[in-house]
Amino acid sequence: MTTDDLKTLWFSAWAAGLATFVILPPALALAWLLARREWPGKSLVETLTALPLVLPPVATGLILLKLLGRRGPFGDWLAAQGIEIVFTWKAVVIALAVMSFPLLVRSLRTAIGEVPRRLEQVAMTLGARPLRVFWSITLPLARRGVVAGCILAFARAIGEFGATMILAGYIPGETGTLSLEIYQAIQMGEDTRAMELIGAAALLAFAALWVSELLGKNRPAA
Amino acid sequence: MKAFLLSPISATLAALITLTGAVRADELRVSAAASLADVLKEVNAAFAKESGTKVRLNLGASSLLARQIGEGAPVDVFFSADEAKMDGLEKKGLIDAATRKPKLSNTLVVVVPSDSTLTFSTLTDLTLPGVRKIATGDPKSVPVGVYAREHLEKLGLWAAVQPKIVSMENVRAALAAVESGNAEAGIVYKTDATASPKVKIALEVPAADGPRIVYPVARVTGAAHPGSAAAYLMFLDSSAAHQSFVKFGFVVLPEPADKTRNP
Amino acid sequence: MKLELTAIHVPLGAFALRLSAVLGSGITGISGPSGSGKTSLLETIAGLRHPEAGRIVLNGTVLADPAQRIRVPAWQRNMGYVPQDQALFPHWDVRRNLESSALLAGTRPDPVLFARILTLLELAPLLTRTTALLSGGEKARVALGRALMSRPQLLLLDEPMAHLDDRLRDRALDYLRTAASEMQLPMLMVSHSSRELGAICGNVLRMERGGLVP
Repeated sequence: MTTDDLKTLWFSAWAAGLATFVILPPALALAWLLARREWPGKSLVETLTALPLVLPPVATGLILLKLLGRRGPFGDWLAAQGIEIVFTWKAVVIALAVMSFPLLVRSLRTAIGEVPRRLEQVAMTLGARPLRVFWSITLPLARRGVVAGCILAFARAIGEFGATMILAGYIPGETGTLSLEIYQAIQMGEDTRAMELIGAAALLAFAALWVSELLGKNRPAA
Repeated sequence: MKAFLLSPISATLAALITLTGAVRADELRVSAAASLADVLKEVNAAFAKESGTKVRLNLGASSLLARQIGEGAPVDVFFSADEAKMDGLEKKGLIDAATRKPKLSNTLVVVVPSDSTLTFSTLTDLTLPGVRKIATGDPKSVPVGVYAREHLEKLGLWAAVQPKIVSMENVRAALAAVESGNAEAGIVYKTDATASPKVKIALEVPAADGPRIVYPVARVTGAAHPGSAAAYLMFLDSSAAHQSFVKFGFVVLPEPADKTRNP
Repeated sequence: MKLELTAIHVPLGAFALRLSAVLGSGITGISGPSGSGKTSLLETIAGLRHPEAGRIVLNGTVLADPAQRIRVPAWQRNMGYVPQDQALFPHWDVRRNLESSALLAGTRPDPVLFARILTLLELAPLLTRTTALLSGGEKARVALGRALMSRPQLLLLDEPMAHLDDRLRDRALDYLRTAASEMQLPMLMVSHSSRELGAICGNVLRMERGGLVP
């Protein structure tokens, strides 16, 4: 592997890590709302949340490009603030975040759903407000599921291609993630380089999924 | 749709809002067809050396690049592998028509695996029984396949060749089919054939009677770096750039006499 | 202590809790077949279920009255709730479970009360143990101690003896009796065993299909 390839590997891991970190708080909030509350429009939001899982990633990428491009509603405003998203590393992180979000929400929802409600209820009768119940009871008991979900989201982000390609472009050395570099290497017939990069991506994803499995096996006794 | 998109986006924006940098003056953003990757890396390095302007090269399928420009992605120069995509942008006023020019051309070649004993003297040889499968781009949608079909139709060979055609989604996939020996022959661009050591060119369709394959280049309307864009377009005409293009198998198109270069 | 339940109506799927009652100090028992709504009644008083109609008043304070849009949340009701499965916090050891009301409310546990409860329920040897490894009787004592540490106005006990054998049951009854008298704590205790209820309850209410029967 060349220095550039190592940089690509590092950039991919960094972008996927940041994306996972950034979506964790909103995903936790939404997962909790889905697992623990009944509210109007819940099934609608649930379906919408699953959309990036079912849509081809390029479709999600196109929607993001329409929203964040200079001719889109947000891109216009952002451009006025001097903030550029499309074709930058920020676009990579956003594309990865949006693509991993549904997966993370689903994992977290399951993890939270597996915490016995009885424990939360008892905590409430002991004087804990809902937010405190979440921090002190729900989250610690769901932690393995939360970690596993994060790793799954991270692995998904490493493999993301379609949405990144559209929103961030393929700018070698700037928005070139492992997946984009692999695609380009295949396009250019550089099979040896493609195989090396595939090996690196597989190693990264394997490591992540392996840790996820390991943590998933040991659920807390309750 | 918005609700689920917005929560991660807004959180991301909040995290990033302080980290944004301003647009740098000494850079140029070029969106180019993926098939130009290697040659443009060389050309851009030479341009950077001469002008001090760093080129950020965004690579992809021409259709995708056009789409991105249509949505307002920050691009200064568009180098397409396909005139239709450039036409679409020009119609919408998204490229500066005065700066557009057909820059490069490519030729079609018939390739065979490098250890193949097949020989071709004309395209008619594609109908021989020794050639059972011919890999190329999809004749309806992928440019290389469309060019191949049109040319074979012109020669009256299409009906005989069509049953042997294996439609691939891009040139690279067609080339891979030949490299692996799954197709006895393939019709691809000369530039792709040159790049692959596992195939050899069995027959080249002369540029004069072959299809007109054009790579147009133009400045994007409202480019953030119009000066650098003009300098870049001028550099593409330099002898240094020409040498690179030729080295990678492209045909450099002469500048049309009726168009003057934009400053 | 005076707890007034006035014409409360709590839908429970197949049937509804519909009853009126006034409960005083001491230990009040609730008996009845399983599925008659005993646990749901405790949950309603604790603020974990909400009536669609009626009033719940504790010592003059309205805890719930849908007509007036009053609904005091569970964390402000100051009820000690000991569910049938005890629901000890599995990620905390016995000490942290006992101190959980203070931890969850963001205050410091009262050392005097803590010492008293340790003695009363003989919990000192268990303090560093994990809850998963406790016996049924130990779990019941920890759950009771945890509820007592929150200085409740009323203790709600759901089948506190369900998992105990006869010998332990008698000891547990002693604990409860001591707690009630020493801490001047009114209790509401659900059980399907009339023997248990007869042993310590001054007053026993009988439930069937969500209502009280004479």
